[in-house]
Amino acid sequence: MLVKLLSGSMKKMWKDYLVLLFGLTISIAIFYMFETLAQNKAFLEANALISSIVFVFHVGTFILGLVTIFYIFYATSFVLSLRQKELGMYMTLGAKKGKVTQMMFLETLVIGIISLIIGLIVGVGLSEGIARLLMSRLDFSGEGFQPLYASSLWTTVIFYMILFLLTAIVNAIRVARKSVLELLHADQKADNKVIKGWKTFVGTLFAIVLITFGYFAMINMGELAHVGVLIAAATVTPGTYFFFMAMLPFIIKRIKGIRSINEKGLNAFTYAQLDFRVSQLSKVLGTVAMLIALGLGAMTAGLSFYHNTEIQSSLTHSYDIKVHQPTEEELTEMENWEFEERNLYSYRVTDDGVYFSKHDLQANPPMIKEFTGNLDELTEEVRVENNLSASIYTNDEETDNGETMPEQWQTALRTELLANFYMFGDRSLYILDQEKWEEINAETQTVLIGKVDNFTDYTDTLEEIENRHLQLALEFTGEEPLTTGSKYANYTSLKSLANGTIFMGLFLGVAFLMMMASVLMFKLLSSATADIGRYQMLRKIGVRQAKLKKSIYKELFLVFLFPGLIGLVHVLIGMEMFSFLLIEPYTKIWIPISLFLVIYGLYYWLTVKMYQRIVLPKG
Amino acid sequence: MTKSVVNVENVQKIFGKKSENQYKALDNVSFTIKEGEFVGIMGPSGAGKTTLLNVVSTLDKATSGKIEIAGQDITDMKQNQLADFRSDQLGFIFQDFNLLENLTVYENIALPLSLQGVSSKKIKPLVTQVAEKLGIKSILAKYPVTISGGQKQRAAAARALVHEPAIVLADEPTGALDSKNAHSLMKTMEHLNQYHDVSIMLVTHDPLSASYCERILFIQDGTLYKEITKSGDQQQFHQQILNVLAELTSIQSS
Ligand SMILES: Nc1ncnc2c1ncn2[C@@H]1O[C@H](COP(=O)(O)OP(=O)(O)OP(=O)(O)O)[C@@H](O)[C@H]1O
Ligand SMILES: [Mg+2]
Repeated sequence: MLVKLLSGSMKKMWKDYLVLLFGLTISIAIFYMFETLAQNKAFLEANALISSIVFVFHVGTFILGLVTIFYIFYATSFVLSLRQKELGMYMTLGAKKGKVTQMMFLETLVIGIISLIIGLIVGVGLSEGIARLLMSRLDFSGEGFQPLYASSLWTTVIFYMILFLLTAIVNAIRVARKSVLELLHADQKADNKVIKGWKTFVGTLFAIVLITFGYFAMINMGELAHVGVLIAAATVTPGTYFFFMAMLPFIIKRIKGIRSINEKGLNAFTYAQLDFRVSQLSKVLGTVAMLIALGLGAMTAGLSFYHNTEIQSSLTHSYDIKVHQPTEEELTEMENWEFEERNLYSYRVTDDGVYFSKHDLQANPPMIKEFTGNLDELTEEVRVENNLSASIYTNDEETDNGETMPEQWQTALRTELLANFYMFGDRSLYILDQEKWEEINAETQTVLIGKVDNFTDYTDTLEEIENRHLQLALEFTGEEPLTTGSKYANYTSLKSLANGTIFMGLFLGVAFLMMMASVLMFKLLSSATADIGRYQMLRKIGVRQAKLKKSIYKELFLVFLFPGLIGLVHVLIGMEMFSFLLIEPYTKIWIPISLFLVIYGLYYWLTVKMYQRIVLPKG
Repeated sequence: MTKSVVNVENVQKIFGKKSENQYKALDNVSFTIKEGEFVGIMGPSGAGKTTLLNVVSTLDKATSGKIEIAGQDITDMKQNQLADFRSDQLGFIFQDFNLLENLTVYENIALPLSLQGVSSKKIKPLVTQVAEKLGIKSILAKYPVTISGGQKQRAAAARALVHEPAIVLADEPTGALDSKNAHSLMKTMEHLNQYHDVSIMLVTHDPLSASYCERILFIQDGTLYKEITKSGDQQQFHQQILNVLAELTSIQSS
């Protein structure tokens, strides 16, 4: 009988259950997505630039696990809030407490199991879809990645089954502990009304100490290594939750306490909306902040690896573009490029040597990158010293014919003018004055070198030039080398190395941010039903529609603002972790961050609109 | 001659669209309430009392006819005008769900003042004053769930009165109260009406509550059936009301 009643009213509240199912499903899907990477050891090790990547993913699983536990406990308490009034009513009609408790237990568990099944299917689908999309965009083959990964599947099933069992027990205990009246009126009760000052103080202190420790570990990741990752994970995560659990109620209470603010217009109501369920809210916001930190962090790290490939390839190259014996076509194409500097040098090639004209080199001495011995800035750009007074310079140490070529000039010719082993084999390099140069019996060739603002704009042409150079090298040396050692060649090979890491960063970034969005959406939709009546009441006593809309904008703004800020700070500090892996972890960090801010802002606007549609009548 | 606060002329309310089967909940109703008057609306269930109150309170639109409150024609006001009008001129006590459960009693009562932009310095004395009048000063800091049903209704009354509206509209405010609480609430309303010149329009089923009024309008099937005015003391008026109700019942059963 009771079962019949319950399933009947479940039908009535199908929208609320849909919301719940949605919230749980996304969480499961994302957890599974994460595990497809985390447990695929072969894939991780083959594709990541980070040596202890498997370890990093273990820690990631730990953080995600913690966040998920908080979220699932919050989400399943929604079942209780949907049901308790009704269960109370059955009890007033004579249903036994044991029976009612049992119902609560079963219902939570059944909903959990249903969402687990759907969540796994969605998770496999999302892994497949997102991975495919990213791989094609990144030109990354991603061999070994498996969207359907058995051991990840099992981990997810076991983890969530335990969680759902626990939450079912907790819900059942809550029902069992409450009296009939408490159940009947539970939805009207505010939580945590009196916050003790010392609790706020201790909580805040904890939050600050933990987060400070975590930041310290992240900044000194280079020395702390594995221990640092562990410390950061174990401090920042609980620190973030402490922050929201202690500070948020405190801040809201403080604002509410200022009468001139609270009693202005609808403010009393707006802040009460946040205050009324503040302990639940702080769990949600803690979770959102952590997910933003993880998602934006993964994405920023991925993009940072991407941008660092360019920096890394510039490490030894001053000039972006080097063209031996440029063709007519290439020259016309380059007419349109904006060069910051462009030089042309003549040379002649014989079987034994490559001869450069001192005249040309002295007219436009090239720049080179020199190592500084300083870790903050590995190399610096200098122009080679114009000190060629002899008539012959060579790097051939076995000949007496000529002076030893200065080190700087050797570097300039090898790296910047691309007169290296790949191109010319074991020919010696010479710099000759005009008279000696004329004596060399070979055709005059030219090499063009140039600096441009953004060399990745020209990768198409650079690839063609690279291929032509390989043919040229074949003519000079008799075999085609694997690379020419040009900046472009370095860039492409570094990029293919970094691709795996970039893929992981973006994949996880998308996953975490999706979960973040679903958590916020869940918070919103799960409170909508209760809010409809409140807004109706306010309209009746004469609050303008525009004021109600403004109140919603404000309420949700605060909900979005706090975790956004905390998450962002975590990311900004967290990027320090990569400073021992990347030359400049903060390069172009504004790209992922402004991208995030735009998407987050749009999402805020969308949620507000959606919420207004639910709680306010049309027209 | 005193001015009228409510002036209802030939008001009709038809539910349902033209194509569907329609229901005439109010048919050609006309009456006026003078400033400072305490008027009751009675009638059998389904007669149209709540509909009338909703139409007068601008929560619902009349199908035809004219309604003036405090000299303003409300029948063709725009949404925002109506909202402002409600928050300035009207005070509501609904049958149930009066208070916002996430605000304290104090905040609930202060809300109409905040909405009008009254400064918080002035809000406190006004709220305390009205709370004192209604005997709920000690529970101002509490949340609605922790106070009794009677206290809730009195808090609702306080909220309806705090901004000194032109008229207070109450839909069965004593419906959920025991006789002692009902009596004390009605006493308060009577007091406010007599000593503070608050006009009140009260819908009720309860003859005893109705006997606090000065005048009663009886509604039957959407039309005004009868109107009686208090001439003697409350006891006599109570008897008069009971007589009319008996009349109404006999008409219905015949
Ligand atoms: N929104 C509506 N749509 C259609 N019919 C309605 C609507 N609201 C009320 N009615 C009908 O109008 C008639 C009058 O309803 P009203 O609520 O005014 O009655 P009432 O006098 O307040 O009754 P009670 O004393 O039971 O509260 C009823 O027959 C009711 O069914
Ligand atoms: Mg009614």
